[in-house]
Amino acid sequence: MGIKVDFRKRYYNKKSDKKKGKEASFTLDVQFELGDELVVLFGRSGSGKTTTLQCISGLLEPNGGKIVVNDNVYFDCHKRTNLPVQQRSLGYVFQNYALFPHMDVKKNIAYGLKGWNEVNKEKRVIEMLQLLHIEGLEHNYPSQLSGGQKQRVALARALAPKPDILLLDEPFSALDMVVRMKLREKIKEIQRELRIPVLFITHNHVEAFTIADKVVIFHEGRVQQIGTPEDVFYQPSNRHVAELVGLSNIFEDAIALNVDEAPETLVLECGNLKVITNKPDRIVAEKVSWGIRPENLRILPLTDDAKSRENTFKACVKSVVNKGASKVLALEIAEHKNLLLAEMANQFFEDVDLRTGDECLARIEMSKIVIF
Amino acid sequence: MVSVFLKTDELKMLEQVWFPLVITLKIAITSTLLVALIGVIISYLLARRDFRGKWIADVLVTLPLVLPPTVTGYVLVVLLGRNGSLGEILYDITGWTILFTWEAAVIAAFIVSLPLMVKTTTAAIEAVDRDFEYAAFTLGRKELETALFITLPLAKKGILAGTVLSFARAVGEFGATLMVAGNIPGRTNTMSISIYSAFQAGNNELANLLVIILITMSFASMAITAKLVNSWKI
Repeated sequence: MGIKVDFRKRYYNKKSDKKKGKEASFTLDVQFELGDELVVLFGRSGSGKTTTLQCISGLLEPNGGKIVVNDNVYFDCHKRTNLPVQQRSLGYVFQNYALFPHMDVKKNIAYGLKGWNEVNKEKRVIEMLQLLHIEGLEHNYPSQLSGGQKQRVALARALAPKPDILLLDEPFSALDMVVRMKLREKIKEIQRELRIPVLFITHNHVEAFTIADKVVIFHEGRVQQIGTPEDVFYQPSNRHVAELVGLSNIFEDAIALNVDEAPETLVLECGNLKVITNKPDRIVAEKVSWGIRPENLRILPLTDDAKSRENTFKACVKSVVNKGASKVLALEIAEHKNLLLAEMANQFFEDVDLRTGDECLARIEMSKIVIF
Repeated sequence: MVSVFLKTDELKMLEQVWFPLVITLKIAITSTLLVALIGVIISYLLARRDFRGKWIADVLVTLPLVLPPTVTGYVLVVLLGRNGSLGEILYDITGWTILFTWEAAVIAAFIVSLPLMVKTTTAAIEAVDRDFEYAAFTLGRKELETALFITLPLAKKGILAGTVLSFARAVGEFGATLMVAGNIPGRTNTMSISIYSAFQAGNNELANLLVIILITMSFASMAITAKLVNSWKI
């Protein structure tokens, strides 16, 4: 059971380019094999997430490869199998909901129940209304619903025919925080109950982290890493993944040196910037990249006597950006001219009260350094 | 019985008005029904399908919109005449020739009004978000079902607008009709042709009456459509 995907889809600038054998302008090359779990497809816009979903659903035909869901072959290039969308037994929730505007909620939900008798149809619609807590809305038209209600109806409609797989294309991007959180929980609950693969596209990393059993990271048409949220967030496999999961401060080509006096630590030398970190469990190459999240940089007043502690550098504030509950500071490390981003909660910021041009100390938390 | 109470002149006038009105409506309604049916199919294919020679199909359908009606009429005469390629086959099979019948006028009206239907409807179908159709597909519905119950209902304003324009164009058709159907009193003298012949004959009274009826009819059909479209929310 689960989903096994290995396919390619090529795009050309012009139709004639394909005939002339020119190189494709964008190639999507996707491989992953996952169980009946909640999978988040995570990546920037244009990295191939939606195309992947469309290929799985059959709305697009890949140029080669194989797609199998629950032992049911949806697409196989070699055997020339390409199951029509209608026969794939899938639920698809579109980014803009795509609720039929000329049908009320009840008709929308029942639309996929072709061939069911009226009694069962009615029963199933009521079940769906209850599952998504939208009882009482059945005679409303989509234009009379709020964003959150529309999303619930879209989910109900997709789930009504009992699909083998549920595909969600950025379903919550137009919703406010509170509604988002509620619906995230709902999706998790539904997945646990139905035990079907759920593929969920997002480019919000908080969403990816909170909802996913597994995360598949996309970058420029390629899968970069597959793993649990902890894996990809704390052990990104490369720079693209690191950037995507919010490691804004990245240093490439650092030389990793062992320290004889302290065998459990490692010195990372990048130009003339040296930081000490805990030695990871795995074997580290001689040349590595490392990064640190903005929230893991500690800002201390210049007068602090911690100046001599490890990984602490004198820095100059280049800019302060207010993010509401926190402030993001761009810091230039005095000796190295490296620019670092630091994020700190407002209450801590008030203590140091820094302005552009001020000097401070920046400490890179040793235990929070991520090596990849 | 009416004739008992009317003078001969008035009776003649009634005939001169009544007949063109009936024949015009008969031609325009028949042609519009055909245009609506075939136009919607052509528009759907143009908007949603990719096929070889699509642009040629598009140009061919649109051509009568820019050609002088006399050219359209001439081509139809050549094609449908007893010696024309289509006309000959028809004559061989049925022994009937279509030229100078009201059916010929229907064909002329059909050809000149089809572009209006197709242009308007194609644009309306193209404006329907494809996600609605994709959603229907993922819910197990085939393309024909989706087209009939999702795409076309969502494009209904455009389809109605195209139909009304086509009807108005068919009512007003003059040049091509005159060439293929002639001006045979009691058979093919439509309103627009009658107005022309009344004007030529100096019968201004008749021309005025026909003009007023034609304007009223066109105005009413447009007004009813506008009201109807406004009452539709989607």
